[in-house]
Amino acid sequence: MAFEATDRHELRSKLEQYAETGDKALRDEIVASQVGLAEYLARRFKNRGEPIEDLIQVALLGLLKAVERFDPSRGLEFSTFATPTIVGELKRHFRDKGWAVRVPRRVQELHLRMGTVVNSLSQELGRSPTIPEIAQRAEVSVDEVLEAMEAGRAYRFSSIDAPAGEDEDRAASPAATQLGEDDTGLEEVEQRMLLSPLIASLPKREQMIIHLRFFRGMTQSEIAARLGISQMHVSRLLARSLAQLRDRAGAEAAPS
Amino acid sequence: MVGDSEERREREEELGRGGDVRLVVPAAPEYLRLVRLTAAGLASRLGFTFDEVEDLRIAVDELCFHLLGDVDDPDPSGEPRTMDLVYSAGADFIAISGRTSRTGDVAEPSELSEQILDALVDEHEVSGSNGTVTFRLRKQRES
Repeated sequence: MAFEATDRHELRSKLEQYAETGDKALRDEIVASQVGLAEYLARRFKNRGEPIEDLIQVALLGLLKAVERFDPSRGLEFSTFATPTIVGELKRHFRDKGWAVRVPRRVQELHLRMGTVVNSLSQELGRSPTIPEIAQRAEVSVDEVLEAMEAGRAYRFSSIDAPAGEDEDRAASPAATQLGEDDTGLEEVEQRMLLSPLIASLPKREQMIIHLRFFRGMTQSEIAARLGISQMHVSRLLARSLAQLRDRAGAEAAPS
Repeated sequence: MVGDSEERREREEELGRGGDVRLVVPAAPEYLRLVRLTAAGLASRLGFTFDEVEDLRIAVDELCFHLLGDVDDPDPSGEPRTMDLVYSAGADFIAISGRTSRTGDVAEPSELSEQILDALVDEHEVSGSNGTVTFRLRKQRES
């Protein structure tokens, strides 16, 4: 991604301005203009067992940190400074939040395959399938299905998408990590989400999922159909979001 | 062999009706997997659907969080703490209770946590007193 000289110049002046003013809107603008860099670096870590969407979110967090920490007076190119910061964030993600349990390859494969099986069975049956039904269709044992369900959660979820700072920085994260598709219901969601600043700190799509699941009472399969993603993905995002909310709720409740 | 399978079916029905399963694990996040797996295993025997099993797993996680507390927080006796879980399978429901000995403060479940659990299971409760924290939940099979 070669930057035109004018782009580079513009980026520099924005960074200088941000360093001076700390203007959040400006910061978000800078982050948005550099998303390509984050995505590029995230892709270098793919095929290591983590979904690419998750890696991109981690990379965006790194990018955000880089924008906040960049000191224009040192004369470095922003990309020179940002690259190690983003890569560091990705590496840390693998180190800290990597697979907590070694998941055998066949279980991982079944986990991936199960997404399709659950979707097609749900459509045929007009309801969520039972575990034996899934096992039969996938031609594996019930125990293997259960194991594969766990595999979706085998890595430790933590505050993967946590904004760099604390409360005052919260607004930055959704803007930076808004990768999902726009949804007309989103504004309404946002309104309701004001009730819960913790939820508001999650990426938009996860807010949406939490809202549909817990405030509208939709099932995971219904949400999957509505958002056009797999049910397994909904399950994973949901579990991760809850783990994050819990982490943060815990952090806020802590006396220190 | 006919006798064997019949015997087995009877045993399974018995389990499905009222047999309890007990699980004691260290009070550490690493063991939540076992706690969830046991819940999912029993629920699937009772014919819970995939969605219902998922809900149950999330609820178990959420409630066990209250037992985990501070990981370094030892048992009042100084031993590493454990979580004791009892899974009761009814004909069309599963009930799970958990307890741990814990001296630290018990955080009130947040409003959000309540809301989430309301959506996931039919009954849930967390309570703490005299150095013991307990929870219980009950989830009914839909059809």
